[in-house]
Amino acid sequence: MNWRGRLLTATAMLMLTAPSFAQDNAPSQQEGLAAWQQVYAVFSHPRCANCHVADERPRWVGAAGSAERIHAFNVQRGVDGSGFGNAGLRCTSCHFESNSKHLNGPPGAPSWHLAPAEMVWHKISSAGICAQIKDPERNGGRTLQEIAEHVREDPLVGWGWKPGPGREPAPGSAEGTYEELERWAAAGAPCPQE
Amino acid sequence: MRLNVNGNSLEIDADPDMPLLWALRDIAGIMGPKFGCGIAACGACTVHIDGVPVRSCSLPVGAVEGEITTIEGLSKGGELHPVQQAWLEEQVAQCGYCQAGQIMTAVALLDEIAEPTDEDIDNAMGGNLCRCGTYPRIRAAVKRAAALKTAEL
Repeated sequence: MNWRGRLLTATAMLMLTAPSFAQDNAPSQQEGLAAWQQVYAVFSHPRCANCHVADERPRWVGAAGSAERIHAFNVQRGVDGSGFGNAGLRCTSCHFESNSKHLNGPPGAPSWHLAPAEMVWHKISSAGICAQIKDPERNGGRTLQEIAEHVREDPLVGWGWKPGPGREPAPGSAEGTYEELERWAAAGAPCPQE
Repeated sequence: MRLNVNGNSLEIDADPDMPLLWALRDIAGIMGPKFGCGIAACGACTVHIDGVPVRSCSLPVGAVEGEITTIEGLSKGGELHPVQQAWLEEQVAQCGYCQAGQIMTAVALLDEIAEPTDEDIDNAMGGNLCRCGTYPRIRAAVKRAAALKTAEL
């Protein structure tokens, strides 16, 4: 093989090895599952799951370890399915753009409402939420990148880490959860068995 | 800051964190909305902002945007609002403390649903508590008010 042939061979080898190099740097499936576990800890936390319910009624859980209750006052998703409550009793009748400073006062963030019923997280397994998050039919038509950005940037999602007095925040931070979602996606978005 | 209340523009000198209810009662002298719980858990303080019922005890006055209507602003030209008229005809009130809030929520309900069912009424009024237990009369009055409003059209 002449020098041209050697150069071409070397170039071809570089081109062939480049993707493999990138894959070597990608998180492993095990690392992806570990990242997902951090995401699941957030999504299944009462600050998030209480309003990601399958039925019509948001839940209440206050301090860590306190009992879960159905939201009082007959508050519901709304017969129109909007998640903003019923005529005469919208979520925004009590939940304003900021938290009440009083213990047991209404928490607040912009556009307070229930997540769509197909985005259920309340009492759902890690595998179940993982499958839902990856399903555009049940994740609001989002890519994984868009989900990560939604978690980092949406003010109502961000409320979960600043929930006001007497409520346990979701674990970690919005930025940290964004990074875990990125790591999980880079690992091929693996889901746990259970 | 300026607040638009019942068609009037009012200059209010208040900390933006002050609850709207305090500004209405203690500064503007508008005493219809009542203090019950202070944490949006009873409905006695309910007023409308651009027609939407809100708990004024928990809304910072600095966050208010829009036209505020209190129970004092419901009647027009000396005529009672149909919900107020129905409340009288059904003799709803016992002690009466919660009734301004009850009426404001009922008005908002009927603005969205002209002929509410029992379920619609329960869904709307669940955040307005009445310690006297006048709920059966409240439900009857909402239905009577619906009929009065329809008759007005």
